Amino acid sequence: MSVYDQYETVIGLEIHVQLATQSKAFCGDDARFGAAPNTHVSAISLGHPGTLPRLNKRQVEYAVQLGLALGCEIQRHNTFDRKNYFYADLPKGYQITQDRRPICVGGALQIPSAEGEKSIRIHHIHMEEDAGKSIHDQDPQHSLVDLNRAGVPLLEIVTEPDLRSPEEVDALMTAMRQLVRYLEISDGNMEEGSLRCDCNVSVRLRGSDQLGERCEVKNLNSMRFARRAIAYERRRQIDLIEAGCKAEQQTLNFDPVSGMTSPLRDKEDAHDYRYFPEPDLPPVQLDEAYVDQLRATLPPLPWALRTELATDYQLSPYNAELLTQEKATALYFKRLAAETPHFKAAANLLINKLLPWVQERKTPLADFPLTTDQLAELIQLIADDRVSNAVAYQRLFPALLDRPEARPLALAEALDLIQSQDDDFMATLVREVIEQHPDKVAAYRQGKKNLLGFFMGQVMRQSKGRANPKTAEALLQRTLAAD
Amino acid sequence: MTVDNALISKLEKLARLQLPPEQRQQLLGDLNAILEMVAKLNELDTEGVAPLTYISDAVFLGREDVVAKQVDREAALRNAPDQDGQYFKVPKVIDL
Repeated sequence: MSVYDQYETVIGLEIHVQLATQSKAFCGDDARFGAAPNTHVSAISLGHPGTLPRLNKRQVEYAVQLGLALGCEIQRHNTFDRKNYFYADLPKGYQITQDRRPICVGGALQIPSAEGEKSIRIHHIHMEEDAGKSIHDQDPQHSLVDLNRAGVPLLEIVTEPDLRSPEEVDALMTAMRQLVRYLEISDGNMEEGSLRCDCNVSVRLRGSDQLGERCEVKNLNSMRFARRAIAYERRRQIDLIEAGCKAEQQTLNFDPVSGMTSPLRDKEDAHDYRYFPEPDLPPVQLDEAYVDQLRATLPPLPWALRTELATDYQLSPYNAELLTQEKATALYFKRLAAETPHFKAAANLLINKLLPWVQERKTPLADFPLTTDQLAELIQLIADDRVSNAVAYQRLFPALLDRPEARPLALAEALDLIQSQDDDFMATLVREVIEQHPDKVAAYRQGKKNLLGFFMGQVMRQSKGRANPKTAEALLQRTLAAD
Repeated sequence: MTVDNALISKLEKLARLQLPPEQRQQLLGDLNAILEMVAKLNELDTEGVAPLTYISDAVFLGREDVVAKQVDREAALRNAPDQDGQYFKVPKVIDL
């Protein structure tokens, strides 16, 4: 057993979710990503003196919705604070955040893990604003600052140190991304920075209940970076401890090029944020009616839909999982399932045909050209053995996409795809195939029974897909055995 | 509480300032005078009085989530010590 195996990694996350509001947290600037630099700004986001912040109602609404979904306690009275530090992309010299009384406390999110489902506790969720963006690599003497992002509303979700591996971090971020997309409070796009996390990593001997000294790793804007940073940090801290030293509490930067972490600042010049109450924003008071109304209008949540698909529709856990990754897919399945009794076939069609269509075209499922009514008819043709599964998927489905106004049965008839129920037709086909391959027939009769697949292929091909595979197989077996 | 040289040095660091020696002396005196004046409040007996964080009784009303009152880039950059028509330019923050 390697020395590394004696240690376990303890990880807590600070997850930042950029909210999909129209305007910023405390002023009316456009909050959207991707505009030309410094075009979504105003006297307030530029930090000009004499300006006052006004809180965006929707940020509060989104915070409460996320809190309710995660089972947090919604603090009916919550307040804002100033976190003071000087940096060029923070024009006011402080970030407005919630330090003393955050809007949500407690709660948990379930993730799949190696030991089965695991509950990751939430410490709290608070509202805050984002900083601007600094660009360090375009000008040799200067850093360039774009303040479009300054003041964009964020929720910060702080977890308890309940995670034990990069895989669990990945699972939590995936579950969080899915949840914020279900709630439609964020697009959850990690590449564009709508969802990012800082990892607090420490190590301890297995079996110990003491937490080690933790290091905070920043700059993790993809799951791949997070995985590598945690693996590196785990090794570094164990090496330190094994060498008789101690990991020191630090803020670290992860460099994706070298794959290493390096101190951003250490204890000595650790930030002294001098939090104090934000005098410009009155306390947020939420009444029961407000919280009740948001609770009543919560959309279906991923775990509820997953259970519903697995129990009410009898889908496999795997298919239920696939179909609930996105809310739109799950709801589409339910609409389709309302029109056909063949739930499993509906799930297969959605997974094998519609989802690839969505992925290839980067188009939402809502734009899929066929109606659920047409799909239900297609599924019924397969169920009634009138069109084989293979023909339905490979020929009828693409033909329908080319002619989305057509009815599946009519089109199948027009294209001559209806399976023949005619015994003479089948008997002739089978006889022809057997006559064409006397050597194979002899081999089959001498015991090479796996040649049946070859004969099946020939029959299906010569029937142009119209042969019913079950009938064909039975007839082939009988005929081959007979002589 | 008294302000000493060590505290001034810490404040300099936090505020990203470098004070010339004469200003430093003046600030030391000024800050101590301010603290002394505010220290007068210590004479009051506040036993049993709840901390007063907000002066007004106003509570959250909130703003509707609509885009409004942006300024154009030229106006935004106008007062900057240095800019290139697109970005604010500041002394290099990180060595790459």
